[in-house]
Amino acid sequence: MKFQLITLLGVKVDQDVYEVILPTADGEIAVFPGHEPLVSLAVPGAIAVRHNKGDADDKLEYFAISGGVIEVSQEILKVLVDEADSGEDIVEAESKAALERALKARDNATNQVELEKAHQLVDRHAVRLKVADLRRRHRR
Amino acid sequence: MASTQQLKGRIRSVKSTKQITKAMQLVAASKMRRAQEAEKASAPYTRAANELLTHLASQGVTKGHPLFEIRDQIRSRLLIVVATDKGLAGAYDSNILKLYAKQLIADDQAGVKNETITIGRRANRFASRIKGTKVIAAYQDLPDDPAGSQLRAIVDMAREKFEAGEVDAVDILYTEFITSVNQMPMMQRVMPAGYEITEVTDEIKEALFEPSAEEVLEAVTYRLIEAQVYHALLTARASEYMMRMMAMKNATDNANDLIDDLTLAMNKARQGAITQELAEISGGVEALNE
Repeated sequence: MKFQLITLLGVKVDQDVYEVILPTADGEIAVFPGHEPLVSLAVPGAIAVRHNKGDADDKLEYFAISGGVIEVSQEILKVLVDEADSGEDIVEAESKAALERALKARDNATNQVELEKAHQLVDRHAVRLKVADLRRRHRR
Repeated sequence: MASTQQLKGRIRSVKSTKQITKAMQLVAASKMRRAQEAEKASAPYTRAANELLTHLASQGVTKGHPLFEIRDQIRSRLLIVVATDKGLAGAYDSNILKLYAKQLIADDQAGVKNETITIGRRANRFASRIKGTKVIAAYQDLPDDPAGSQLRAIVDMAREKFEAGEVDAVDILYTEFITSVNQMPMMQRVMPAGYEITEVTDEIKEALFEPSAEEVLEAVTYRLIEAQVYHALLTARASEYMMRMMAMKNATDNANDLIDDLTLAMNKARQGAITQELAEISGGVEALNE
């Protein structure tokens, strides 16, 4: 099954994979080859990709995504999102610090615009931290 | 005639100006390439969103959706104008502002109310002096690759205005990069939303929509509008750098011509001074011999 992760900044991933676990509005779903055609909404969270059938959980590849649209057909899985970061690019300590900064900004926000921005940052870094956490747990 | 000292000073100053314009030319060239690449990279996203929308529209889901509502009479309009922050890009700003002014005049004559979101300091400086429009937001110093959050702030504001019925249409004015010698100011309607009709694979036709077709439509439409605005911003940036590169190339060429002229004048002045001195010396010798 082909997996494409498409953002405004370009195509992040375009490769053959065995299984993809996606966060959707109705909960997490796992997509395998031959899945029935489906169009659904992705919510901010972590995507996990299993490249080959026999791969163990510690070989899963993770991506932190913001919200988007998922399009599943027999042979191809397209994920259209605003932002996507590969788990490998995320440094846990940095994400943690960034999340704390964002939380602080949210608490200290004086107007609606700042609050909105802080909320977005909190979401974004919370997702990144989750991805870093998942990676660490499975690598051990 | 100016003295050789003065001419030397002027040559030096023109030379240092030339170094600056040359450097700006090179910087603009490399930034332009990057903006163009970023613009190309967003194409798959736009294509995928278009494909989904075409399909959704063929199922009739777009009817009645607020973002697709085409209103019979346009009574007020929101313009998003993209210009530069610092100018120095030849006719770039004046071209886009000319198009903007034309739109304002047209709105004025048709009795359409007008509001503006400006992007770039030059656009804001121009729009805020005009009585016919109200600047509701001004963005400046946007980076070359605007992040999702900045883009969303612009799109959200336009969408709120549109859905609340405060404006009946939203247009974006930007400079399209057509070829390296041709950059055209253009206007595109972003709301009510439209889409290009593309081929739809059979598989999507049978697809299930979760949670519902309407909710998917909402998300896709929003992303397509975002992609349109993103395209406008990036192609405008590429045009800006292209025109800045040309403007700086002309400036560098002019500086070269100026240096040549000044060098010639300086050499003439120096030779003139030498000839004069020689004449004085030989005059003196003649006088001694007598």
